[in-house]
Amino acid sequence: MQNEMTISIFETVGSPLCVASGDGQKVYERLAAALHKGRSVTLSFHNVTTLTSAFLNAAIGQLYGVFSEEHIRSLLKVQDMPPDDLALLKRVVETAKQYFKDPQRFDQAVRDELGDNGDDL
Amino acid sequence: MRLTLPDIRHDQSGFKALVRLEAETKDCVFEEIAIDMGGTSWIDADMCASFGAILYRMGDNMNTVRLTNIRPGVESILLKNGFLSHYGREKIPDRWGTTIPYQRFDSKDDRYFADYIENELIRRSEMPAMSPGLMKKFRESIFEIFSNAVLHSHTKLGIFSCGQFFPKRDRLDFSVADLGIGMRRNIADHTGLALAAADAIVWATAGRNTTKRGPVPGGLGLKLLGEFIDLNGGCIQIVSDAGYWRRQNGKTVTAPLSNPFPGTVVSMEINTADTNSYKLVSELSAADIF
Repeated sequence: MQNEMTISIFETVGSPLCVASGDGQKVYERLAAALHKGRSVTLSFHNVTTLTSAFLNAAIGQLYGVFSEEHIRSLLKVQDMPPDDLALLKRVVETAKQYFKDPQRFDQAVRDELGDNGDDL
Repeated sequence: MRLTLPDIRHDQSGFKALVRLEAETKDCVFEEIAIDMGGTSWIDADMCASFGAILYRMGDNMNTVRLTNIRPGVESILLKNGFLSHYGREKIPDRWGTTIPYQRFDSKDDRYFADYIENELIRRSEMPAMSPGLMKKFRESIFEIFSNAVLHSHTKLGIFSCGQFFPKRDRLDFSVADLGIGMRRNIADHTGLALAAADAIVWATAGRNTTKRGPVPGGLGLKLLGEFIDLNGGCIQIVSDAGYWRRQNGKTVTAPLSNPFPGTVVSMEINTADTNSYKLVSELSAADIF
């Protein structure tokens, strides 16, 4: 049985437009199945033209609610991603880590925001 | 019932006029509602998304809606972008190719929406020659807006979109409206925070705030959109419930509206002459992501 595998995003979604949360869920299910079995996975973004945070949150962000950072880091790799998409994925990953670390942060966050930003007309 | 409609511009005054129309009709059931547009000398075409959403809700309440006395200039735009096809008229060709058609989607229509954007916007030869970086960011932003409506609005009546390109002004306007629960109620339901409607938009567009609960994280889409608009030199407006929010030149303004919009509208104005490369100063390594 293979210990290393490649998952093609394009093949999983069936489109170069990886924008819907529901499509991200399909990728997540394959990834989670592989990581549960301790397989090394390379996630290929070859031929993907458009990504959204909603797609990446579902596909990859939610892994952090199930697996440890160390587990994910040791088994998951990405390839064929242009730098701006890598940057988006990095932000999704950082947001996911925070989300699962500190789910009750909302009250303070809103106090901070409303104190700083809203210049009323 | 007979109502009149003023000019509907792509700004706070336009949204004020539309929420007034909503307030005047929200309790109507099984009525004939005639909207007299004789006094409407201008409609910014992307505002058809919000206007159409309000009219759709009237229809869903079993009202019969008629648009009357439409001035020729306004009628021409509304025929070209397919808006009046929803009210018994035939679409006419858009000779200059500057309209992005009015369309309604269900919240499960992600793929259909993606096709609409590709076919009616990205691949159209009439569209401005945007740099590849700008085109990619623009496309991502539109999909982030639609995803946001799908994930957060809980709309049962749909998501509405429309746009317009202004070649001489290097500007492209695009709006997405939903008939969902709005940001204020969504935040209250999920976090217990009781915010004014405009403050709810401030909250939703800030950093890591999200109403998402459960296994899939969120809270990035609107933040990314704001960052893009700041770089692009465009403008973004959000109306949700009785709140109005606008971001332009890195500055945010908010205001209460006199009446609520029955959902959320995100309206973006893109500077199509933007020559930013949108390339990153320091490149990330694929090995340093997780």
